[in-house]
Amino acid sequence: MKRILLLMFLCCCTAAITFATNRSALPDTLTIEPSAAPVAIDLRPYIGSLEDATGNLSIDAVPQLPFYTNNQLFHAAPRNNSKPNNCWLKINIKNPGNTNASWLLFTGWHDFMYWYQQAPGKMPGLLMQTGLMLDRGGVERWNNYGFVADIPPHDTRTFYLHIINKSFNENPFVPTLYNSAAFVTFQSTQVEGYRRESVVILVLLGMLLVILGISLINYIQLPDRSYLYFAIYVLGLILFFALRLESKPYQLSFFHRWPMLKYYWDIPGLLFCFYLMYLLFGNAFLNLKERYPFMERIFTWVAAVVGGLIIICIYLIAMEQYHLPTIIYGYVYFGTLVPLLAIFIALARRSQHHPLVKFFLFGSVCLYLACLGSFLIHVRPLGLVGALGELSAPTVLLIGGILLQAFFVLAGLSYRNKLVHMERTRTQEMLIKQLNKNKELQRKLNEQLEELVKEQTTEILRKKQELEEQRKIQLETEYVKKLTEIELKAIRAQINPHFIFNCLNSIQLFVMQRDFEFAQKYLSDFSYLIRKTLDFSRRNFISLADEITYLNTYLGLERMRFENRMEYEVVVDPEIATAELEIPAMLLQPYVENAVKHGMTNPKQVLGKLSIRFTQIESDMLECIVEDNGIGITRARELRSLPKHHQSSGMEISQNRADLLNKMYNTEIQIEIIDKALEQECNSGTMIRILIPQL
Amino acid sequence: MVKAVIIDDERNSRDIIALMLEKYCPFVEIAAMATDSTDGIAKIREHQPQLVFLDLEMPDGTGFDILTATQGEVSFEAIFVTAFEKKFLQIIRLSEVELILKPVDKESLLHAVNTVVRRVEDKQATQRYQVLMENFNSQQNHQWQVIIADNNSREWVVLLGDIEYFELADDKAVFYLRTGDTLSAAGTFRYYLELFSGLKFYQLNNSQIVRLSAVARLSGDGTRVILQSGRTLEISERRKKDLLTRLQGEH
Repeated sequence: MKRILLLMFLCCCTAAITFATNRSALPDTLTIEPSAAPVAIDLRPYIGSLEDATGNLSIDAVPQLPFYTNNQLFHAAPRNNSKPNNCWLKINIKNPGNTNASWLLFTGWHDFMYWYQQAPGKMPGLLMQTGLMLDRGGVERWNNYGFVADIPPHDTRTFYLHIINKSFNENPFVPTLYNSAAFVTFQSTQVEGYRRESVVILVLLGMLLVILGISLINYIQLPDRSYLYFAIYVLGLILFFALRLESKPYQLSFFHRWPMLKYYWDIPGLLFCFYLMYLLFGNAFLNLKERYPFMERIFTWVAAVVGGLIIICIYLIAMEQYHLPTIIYGYVYFGTLVPLLAIFIALARRSQHHPLVKFFLFGSVCLYLACLGSFLIHVRPLGLVGALGELSAPTVLLIGGILLQAFFVLAGLSYRNKLVHMERTRTQEMLIKQLNKNKELQRKLNEQLEELVKEQTTEILRKKQELEEQRKIQLETEYVKKLTEIELKAIRAQINPHFIFNCLNSIQLFVMQRDFEFAQKYLSDFSYLIRKTLDFSRRNFISLADEITYLNTYLGLERMRFENRMEYEVVVDPEIATAELEIPAMLLQPYVENAVKHGMTNPKQVLGKLSIRFTQIESDMLECIVEDNGIGITRARELRSLPKHHQSSGMEISQNRADLLNKMYNTEIQIEIIDKALEQECNSGTMIRILIPQL
Repeated sequence: MVKAVIIDDERNSRDIIALMLEKYCPFVEIAAMATDSTDGIAKIREHQPQLVFLDLEMPDGTGFDILTATQGEVSFEAIFVTAFEKKFLQIIRLSEVELILKPVDKESLLHAVNTVVRRVEDKQATQRYQVLMENFNSQQNHQWQVIIADNNSREWVVLLGDIEYFELADDKAVFYLRTGDTLSAAGTFRYYLELFSGLKFYQLNNSQIVRLSAVARLSGDGTRVILQSGRTLEISERRKKDLLTRLQGEH
C-alpha cells in the first residue's frame, strides 16, 4: 500500500512539474502538403495535450480549453503510469496544397480511443472510435488504430484524440502522422514483428492443446485426480495464452468479441494456473496426503489463499482497478520466491523415497527459473516498476519454461501411470498369491480341523478308556482295601489258638485237681480275654485303656501258666489320657506274646521279666516298648532248628500287620526290634519299640 | 508196664497228662518229666522209655529235634501233644504217628496210648518215625511218604508221587501205584479222602481219587481221564470243568 501511495505521490509530483513546465508552450499548427512519397512525421512538437484528471470532460467542452505541448506524456517503450491515463490530444493540420490531403495518425495501442474532427467554426464531430477494451471487431480492427485525417485543399482542420488507458500499463505512446504509403510500410513492419511473436505463442498453444488432449484422454481412461488438475491447469494456460494473443496487435483469437476477457484472465489466470492448480495438482500427483502430510497442509492452505486472491482480483478488475491485481501478483510472486525454494528443497530431500517428486521438481524448477528469468529480462529495459507490470507478459523464456515443465509433468504422469500399473500388477499378483495362499490355508485348515477332530475323537475315546480304567482301578483299590481289612481281621482272629488251648488245658488241670476257685478265676479271666478278642477283632482301633486291661489280663493268664516264673509290669506315662487315646487293635499282642514265649527261655534268668511301657514322646507320637530279658531275638532265631520252609515268624506277621495298617490308614507305624545283647554284652533280651502316630 | 517220659515246657500240661495217665492208663509208668528239649533228650537217654509224650514246640527246640537226636539209640513210640497244630499235622498223620490235642480228653488219650502200646507189644518196627523225619525234611509234598497198612496189618511206605489213584472198594481204599501194583488198604476210603485233602489229589467221581500230576489228558469225548500209565478213569460230568482248572493250575 505504501508503495502505491509512493507511486501516486511520484505521479502527482511529475504531473505537477509537467504542468508547470509546459504550460506556456502552445502547440503549433502543422502545415504540410500532401505528398505521394512516404512521409512519417513525429507529431510530438505539434500536438497539444490536455489531461482530464476527473474524466468529466466532453468533446463539447474540450475545444474551449487550452492545450499544451507535453513531451512527458509520450514514450516509445511500454510504461507503467502508476495511474489511469485520461488525456486529450489536439492537433491542427493545414493543407496548403491544391489537392485533398489524407493523413493517418497513429499513437499506439490504447484501451479507449475516440477520434474527433473539427472544421473551422464548427463543432467537433466523432469520426472514429476504437481501443483494446472497446473494439470487438475481428482482425480488421487492428487497422482502426490509424486515424484518418482528411483535409480539403487550402484548408485547416483541428483533430482531437481522446485516449483513456485504464490499466496502468501503457503501450508505447508516440503520435506519428503517416501518409497512406508510409502507413502501409509502417503497418507491414508492425505486423511482421507481432506475428513473429504470435507464432511462438501459437506453437505453444498447439502443444498445450496436445498436452490437454493427452491429459483428458488419460483422465478418461484412468480417472486419476492429478490428470484432471493438470488438464485444468493446461486449459487455464491455453486460455491465458490465447488471450495474450488478443492483447497483441494484428492477432486474432476466438475471444475478440469479448475484449475485456483478456484483462480478467490476466493476473487471475496466472494465479489460477501457476499457484492454485499447480498446488492442487502437486497434492494429487505426489499423493502428499499420505506421503508428506505436512506439505499437503501447506499446499492446501496456500491454494485456498490463492483462490481467495483470484476472487479479489476478479472483483478489482470488475471495479476497473486494473493495477491492483498486478500489485497483488507482484507481492505473491516475490513473496513466494523463497518459500518455493524451501519447498523444492524439502521435496528434493524426499525424492529418494518418492520417484515422482523428481519429475514434479524438475518441472517446477524449470518454470520457476523461466519466470524469474523473464522478469529479469524485463527489468533492464523497463526498470523494476515497468518489469513488474510485465510479470504476466509471456516471453520466449517463460514459454520455454512452461513447455519444459509441461513435458516433465507429462513424463511424471506417465511414470505415475507406470507405477500405478506396476502397483496394480503387483497387487494383482499379490492378490493371486494371497488367493493361492488362502486356498492353501483353507486346505491346511481343513486338514488341521480333520486332524483335530480325529485327535479329539481319539482323545475322547482315550478319556473314556481312562475313565473306565480309573473306575476299574478304584474298584480294585476298594476291593484291595476291603480285602486287606478282611485279611487283617483274619490275622487277628488266628492270633493265639495255642494260648487258648493251653489255657483250656490249664483250666482242665485245675478242675481235675479240684482247685475249683482257681479254675473259676482262670475261666473268668479267659472268658474276658476271649470276649475282648472277639470284640476287638470287629474294630480297627481301641482305646489305650482297653489295650492295657487286655494286656494285663493276658499277662496274668500267662503268668499262671508259667507258674510265676514270670514277672511283668505295664507302665503308662501318667500324662497319657488312656481312655481317649486310640491305638490299632491287637497290634501289641503278638509282640507281647513273643516276649512271653522268648522271655521264658533264658537259662541264665530264672525269672522272666517283661515290661511294657507307654510314653508320649511327642504331641502326636505314642511310643510303646515291649521288653523282655530272654535270650534275645538273634539267638532265638539261631536256636530254631526247623527247616527253612517251615519257619514262620510271628514278627513277620506283626510287621505285615503294621504295613497293612499303614496302607489302610495312610499312617506311619514304625516297629523297631532291638536285641539288647548286641548293645550290651551283660544284658540280654529283646526290646520292641513301636511308634504309633496319633491320627 | 510201659515206661513213659513226658516232655513239655508247661507244668500244667505235664501235670494233666501225668494226672490223666495215672487215672486212665495205670499200665503206663511215668519214668520222668522234662521241661525242655535238652532235658527231654537227657531223660530219654537216661530212662530208655518205650513211650514219650512230646510237646511239639518248646523254647529250645521242637519235638522233631528230640526225635532226630534219639532215633538211632533209643527206640520208642512217640505221642505228640500240642494245643494247636496246623503246619505239621499232615505229615504226622501221613506217618501214622499219634497226636493228641490239648485240652486232652480221655478218649483220644486212651486211643493214642492203646495204639502205641499195641505197637510196643507187637514190637513193630519204628520206621514211621523215619518216615516222619524224611517228610519233615522234604521240600515238596509229592516227595512225602505215606504209611499204608494193608489188610494183613502190614505197613507199606508209599511215596505220594507213586500213587496214581485210589478207589473205593467195599468201604475200603484200594491204591493203584505207578509201578502197576495194587494196594488194598486197611483204612477206609473216607479216611484217606480226608487224609489226602489239601494234597494234589482230585476226586473224579464218588469212588475214585486221582493224583493230579498222574493225569495225561482228557479223552476226546471228555468223559474219561487218561492217565500217564495209559489207564482210563471215568469222570463225572459236573467235575470236568473243575478238574481242568486244577490241572491248569498244576502245569
